[in-house]
Amino acid sequence: MGQLNVAVIIKLEPDFSEGNVSYNPDGTLNRAETKNTLGPHSEIAAHAAFFAKVMYDAKISIGTMGPPIADLALQQAQQISDAEELHLYSDRLFAGADTLGTAEVLKTGIHKMKEKMDIVFSGHRASDGETGQTGPQTAWKLGFTFLGNVVSYTVDVETRTVHAKRLISLQGTPDVLEEIEAPLPVFISIDPTYKSSFNKISYRLAFHKYRKEAAERAEKYKDYFTMFNAQELGVDETLVGLPGSPTIVYKVERVPKSTATRHAEIIDGSDPEQIKKVVTKMKEALAAMVIK
Amino acid sequence: MAEKFRHLYVVIEHEDGEFLPVSLEMIGEARRLMDDFNSKYSSKEKVVAVMLGHNIKDVSKKLIEYGADAVIYSDNPELKDVRNTIYTKVISQIAQDTKTLGEVEIEYASDIQRPRYMFFAADSIGRHLSSTVLTELESGLASDINQLVIEDIEMSHQQKTAGKKEIYAKTLEMYRPDFSGFLWTTILCLDNRNPSFPRDYHPQSCSIIPGVFEQLKPNSSRAGKIIGFTPTIDAQDLKVKILSRQIIESEVDFETPRTIVSFGRGIKEEPEQNIKLVEQLAKELNAEIGITLPISKKPFPVSSSLDSKYMIPDRVIGTSGHKTSAMLYIAAGVSGAMQHVWGMKDSGFVVAINPDEDAPIKDECDIFIKGRMEDVIPLLIEEIKKQIQIMETA
Repeated sequence: MGQLNVAVIIKLEPDFSEGNVSYNPDGTLNRAETKNTLGPHSEIAAHAAFFAKVMYDAKISIGTMGPPIADLALQQAQQISDAEELHLYSDRLFAGADTLGTAEVLKTGIHKMKEKMDIVFSGHRASDGETGQTGPQTAWKLGFTFLGNVVSYTVDVETRTVHAKRLISLQGTPDVLEEIEAPLPVFISIDPTYKSSFNKISYRLAFHKYRKEAAERAEKYKDYFTMFNAQELGVDETLVGLPGSPTIVYKVERVPKSTATRHAEIIDGSDPEQIKKVVTKMKEALAAMVIK
Repeated sequence: MAEKFRHLYVVIEHEDGEFLPVSLEMIGEARRLMDDFNSKYSSKEKVVAVMLGHNIKDVSKKLIEYGADAVIYSDNPELKDVRNTIYTKVISQIAQDTKTLGEVEIEYASDIQRPRYMFFAADSIGRHLSSTVLTELESGLASDINQLVIEDIEMSHQQKTAGKKEIYAKTLEMYRPDFSGFLWTTILCLDNRNPSFPRDYHPQSCSIIPGVFEQLKPNSSRAGKIIGFTPTIDAQDLKVKILSRQIIESEVDFETPRTIVSFGRGIKEEPEQNIKLVEQLAKELNAEIGITLPISKKPFPVSSSLDSKYMIPDRVIGTSGHKTSAMLYIAAGVSGAMQHVWGMKDSGFVVAINPDEDAPIKDECDIFIKGRMEDVIPLLIEEIKKQIQIMETA
């Protein structure tokens, strides 16, 4: 039985949890005041990788592109996944990259990892950029079969095959759960609803063993950590950062206030008499529209 | 002038030959854009629908009725179900096959190399397909677009133009709402004119949010070209086997209930209690519960049962979730960001509960109850209970 090698690509993102997030008075995110953390979708991807650790004794590596402080996200992801290799790709040359320029760095980074990867995981999307493009673009650059919206998976390590279930949601049609099979290597973008489950005692024992190991490793995460600049990584500098990005952000503006579509009647919420009127109107609205 | 890049290609999604609404919406928007484009630039560039599948030739012709000038279809048993690798390869082939491109418009057949613009749907299929196709084509992609404009843009950019002022003609301005719903970002896909490494970036591409644009009424008198494309399929591209496809019912149903109660960040002072209040209110009204996008990012710690039941993407009302036309829509502690409003504005009667009279939701509701949800909802519940025999009898 061959070794299973798994990589996860993650992202340091604004922490949207209350107490850590800060909004400007106009409702936009105050990035300077907002703390950063491992993105929630990256977290799920790290859990999916840990599933491979518990089930198949996989060897886990994690890569991220970001500023030097993104080592925090690597540490958090290591704590979840019990990774043995942490990569940070950090260089001013990478700044301003769009998803294609980012994918080039991540692809090169994954090639730089010690092992030849069988599965690469990414989250569904970043919670700040929200494009969901970087995963599939990295997959295509790697030449790996891309499997998106994966809600569960198993690996047959003998035949080097992955079985996965994908959740496909399309406008105007019911959701479809698609079961697929593909030979390794694959790139899996993990669905937000993914949850690992370990239904045998031996798996649960492995779970506890590796979770403890992960906590110990994360305490000394620097021992597993390598930072690469553009030169150390050996990227083609015309394919990363601004030069490697076909798209640019041309302008950012406040969404223009649309003309009021309705004219609201303003009610004092502390006055039961007025609330009574509201309920009567709600009732009328429901009744009126039944007649229509 | 001979141009290497012409036309707007729209990648069609369908389920066994039934077009998804977003496909027709994209064709409708493409038609509007290219009509303006052709009159502005005295040109004759086309809206080209690209459709892959099996036994689809006849149905693909319908796309002409919805506004396409030409349809390029690829009909093959291997294309029956969407599989990313083979679909990416075939769409990329279509976008680069000069013979097929030439057939769209014979007059310019000798010059054309690629489409000028390309649209995909921002859904479970199109989001990933657009990513892999544009990686294969090595061009730019913007996601989740809800407004499009074509203009000549004069700009200087440190990288793109090496700081020189340049005019980028016929540039697609792609507008996307950001995660907060308050900001609109315009993305451009621009050639590198920097002399140190010039590079063409075409097609300029994006994925489009379903439900945003209008589809056109089908017009059977419209004529257009139907072009068959025979793909080159390599066994390497067929490694994914689909073993089964099973329809699953979502636990969240925004279609059946007449009333939807949604909540937003206004729950923050007492999240656990406030969600429970929303639950009670929804129960009294037989309503489904919706949330705003920020809530799906789980900004407040609540008990795991409430968290897993309510703070989930499936409940989001808005551009990154569901669109509703409920008879009664109650927005509790919802500020009214654009992306949320898009999802609820077609509702019949809208009641907002919010302490802040300046919140944008005030312009999107019929009754604005000024107050904190923790104070207002109990009064509402009490009053509804009094009148319950008349409510929701249907």
